[in-house]
Amino acid sequence: MERLERLVQDDESRQRRLFTTRELDYCRGKRRQYEHLAARFAAKEAVLKAFGTGISQRMRWTEVEVLNEESGRPRVELTGSVANFAERHGLTDVDVSLSHSEGLAVAQVLTVWKTDR
Amino acid sequence: MADVDSAVKEAVVEALALDDDEVTPDSTLMDDLGAESIDLLDILFRIEKSTGVKIEASDLGDHIQGGIPDDEFSDADEVITEKGAEQLKKVMPQTDPSELAGSLKAEEVITLFTVQNLTEMVKARSDGAG
Repeated sequence: MERLERLVQDDESRQRRLFTTRELDYCRGKRRQYEHLAARFAAKEAVLKAFGTGISQRMRWTEVEVLNEESGRPRVELTGSVANFAERHGLTDVDVSLSHSEGLAVAQVLTVWKTDR
Repeated sequence: MADVDSAVKEAVVEALALDDDEVTPDSTLMDDLGAESIDLLDILFRIEKSTGVKIEASDLGDHIQGGIPDDEFSDADEVITEKGAEQLKKVMPQTDPSELAGSLKAEEVITLFTVQNLTEMVKARSDGAG
């Protein structure tokens, strides 16, 4: 968490390379915005690892967007090359949970696919 | 602009908290040096700061694939084609197309990317910009 904060703190350009406007708006409204951003970064990384692609595909961090329902429950929206990859490989559902405290951000992701990949 | 070779090495050493002699031009960023995605971000941000050359994580994939469409770069099983392997040879000269074609998974390509490959990419970008 500290590391992500160091990388993007007070740097609008870097933040916008990693997070969408909706993610930034949500997190900036929080008292501990960098905890929330770090949890979202962890979720993006977890989604891409669940795809088996890690950072090898030509994805952008903003193509995995972590949003919150009114209830506060997080959900994932995919766009661009990540969405194309998901569609091509039969992704039907992504479930995500986030937690952050004491300097650590953790995300768990469950992906459901139509067929073996 | 800082000397690109030393700027890239310094970025890698500092981002990964390694000793200077642990990082050689032939070191692969992920397999040899253990870089994760946040490390790669850190490295690219440091290079941008010292050289002014801006590279997005997604640019690495574009650079490696060289504009070849996905379905020509790898086959239906996501394994690198001969055409894909020939492209890899251009941007990662240490690779041998005859060994990679038909065996390397597309998602594993990035694991072969070395410090020298990154250095050459930064140099090409800085030449293009200048």
